Amino acid sequence: MSIMDQNGGSVIAMVGKDCVAIASDLRLGNEALAVSSNFQKIFPITDRIYLGLPGLATDVTTLKERFRFRVNMYTIKEEREIEPETFAHLVSSTLYEHRFGPYYVEPVMAGISKTPSGGFKPFIAATDLIGCLNYAKDFVVAGTASSKLYGVAEGLWEPDLEPEDLFETISQTIMNALDRDAYSGWGCIVHVLTKDKVITRTLKARMD
Amino acid sequence: METSFAITGKGYVIVAADTTASRSIIKMKTDEDKVKTLSPHLLMAYSGEPGDTVHFAEYVERNIRLYQIRNLYPLRPSAAAAWIRRALATSLRSRSPYSVNLLVGGYDTASHDPHLYWIDFLGTMTEVPFAAHGYGAYFALSLLDRYHDPEASLEDGLIALKRCIRQVEERLVVTPGKYKVKVVSKDGIQEIDL
Amino acid sequence: MEHSFASPSGHPQPHQRHFNPYSENGGTILAIAGANFSVIAGDTRQSEGYSIQTRYAPKVFRLTDKAVLATNGFAADGNMFVKKVRQRLEWYRHAHSKDMPIRAIARLIQTMLYARRFFPYYVYNILGGIEEDGSGAVYSFDPVGSYEREACRAAGAAQSLVQPFLDNQIYFKNQTPAHGTSHPAHLPLDHVLELVIDSFTSATERHIEVGDGLEIYVVLAKGSTPQVLDRWQGVTEMTTTQDGERMFVIRRNLKRD
Repeated sequence: MSIMDQNGGSVIAMVGKDCVAIASDLRLGNEALAVSSNFQKIFPITDRIYLGLPGLATDVTTLKERFRFRVNMYTIKEEREIEPETFAHLVSSTLYEHRFGPYYVEPVMAGISKTPSGGFKPFIAATDLIGCLNYAKDFVVAGTASSKLYGVAEGLWEPDLEPEDLFETISQTIMNALDRDAYSGWGCIVHVLTKDKVITRTLKARMD
Repeated sequence: METSFAITGKGYVIVAADTTASRSIIKMKTDEDKVKTLSPHLLMAYSGEPGDTVHFAEYVERNIRLYQIRNLYPLRPSAAAAWIRRALATSLRSRSPYSVNLLVGGYDTASHDPHLYWIDFLGTMTEVPFAAHGYGAYFALSLLDRYHDPEASLEDGLIALKRCIRQVEERLVVTPGKYKVKVVSKDGIQEIDL
Repeated sequence: MEHSFASPSGHPQPHQRHFNPYSENGGTILAIAGANFSVIAGDTRQSEGYSIQTRYAPKVFRLTDKAVLATNGFAADGNMFVKKVRQRLEWYRHAHSKDMPIRAIARLIQTMLYARRFFPYYVYNILGGIEEDGSGAVYSFDPVGSYEREACRAAGAAQSLVQPFLDNQIYFKNQTPAHGTSHPAHLPLDHVLELVIDSFTSATERHIEVGDGLEIYVVLAKGSTPQVLDRWQGVTEMTTTQDGERMFVIRRNLKRD
């Protein structure tokens, strides 16, 4: 039994056409015993960055608090909002600070970044528990259902999906992956980010 | 086998814990109060490694009291729970971590609603409508999935609690025995004799 | 191989040598049943650890004119097991002058696997073919013989990648049919073939033990027309009898990296 599987939980992020989506399950368990069906693992960092933290639940909460603190300090010092690329490096270096006694989480980030010409560009990234960054053009996954998420996402995802189609794709991907994972499930939540709004929906999923 | 339960209802939280203190297979005491009153509207049931439990509970109790003395108002349940969780999370990566599991129940006098937090020794915290620790959890959680009602009166809440206690008595190999039951609501904390 | 070394005290110590009779050779298999056909597929890469032993080692085998067996796990056990099943099927032909029906083959496989309950064939089996009533069938087994008839099943290295995809696309799990309509119980052949190919290209993309080649066996029930196969390339007919079930293999390349 790995520490990463103590509480269960999974997160996935996908890129669409001028939009990104990030989704997670809502279960919190103690190994096989389910304790909560409303444990949030995705946190808004700014209006255009969402962070998913699957892994050991105590570290999920600690890191959520820690990132809020560090992003607030950044905002105060720089007098501007943090960009997704910068935040990804913040996540990476925060985790690498604990290289030899890590936080047991695998962060997944989704955001819309500003380009120098004033446009917007979708951004997703993930890191391992010691902060090794992985940028992807299509999708990133993490958590106890990661292998299932890879399989379904690889089959369903296609480039340049519009926000509503991206929502459908990520929802089907996470729900079908979750149904084959004993440690994830008990409901799920999806956020679709576009340049001017965020659509958040809680899905009616299997509760077993 | 230590067991604790907590149930939220309309304007209250019931927190209950068994009253046995044991060393290995020996019952040392059968009237131990393992539900601490942290502030006028905050209760905490604790269980786990003997020694750690009382030490940690008293540490929490005094820090919550200190905050109240310094600021002239008590911490709200969500803030108190977050502080307690952080204390456990920090302790987890220290030389000798506390092995203490908690149920923190409180009535928020600012927003006028009850809150219950399930916290384990790792510092895992989640807000829940009902919760349990110990072997009793395996009975109580499934029973409360069926019988819990967030809008239930105190009488109905206590009936749900009795169902859990009865089932543990009937099916658990080693029965915990008597329970200490406390309720927190807008009127503060009261102890209930089942 | 381990060797015995002198202990710090200078005296050579007896060393327990351990022989592990099993190995794991990667790869993935998959079968889907249609109304009057069955599709059984497997990749052809055989590996041990990070080494590729061969890029072409079939995992899918024709048993009779209407039954195909796919094996996955320890390749040596798989090949031996197929050999023994074929032997039993031949004895059956000599005794009864006909091929064993697929549901009987399924029960035979259970008995043969359970006979080795305490030294099992380290193999996951999927049996596909046509039932006596003409319906497409898929039977899946665990290494000690527990089995079940299903509409679709994936097994092997990429089972966890492929099975949830199939749940979604074959069983329409988590999909609500439009008002007044319902999901089909069985899909048409060309649609099934497309799903099989998508499953394997996806598995190849994300799993290092899957790739190189893909063999898809198609078994058609008596009287059904193989016209849909015309638009597919690399089709070889394997039928041996006239006006019975017909069998085809589609061979395709998968990525070799």
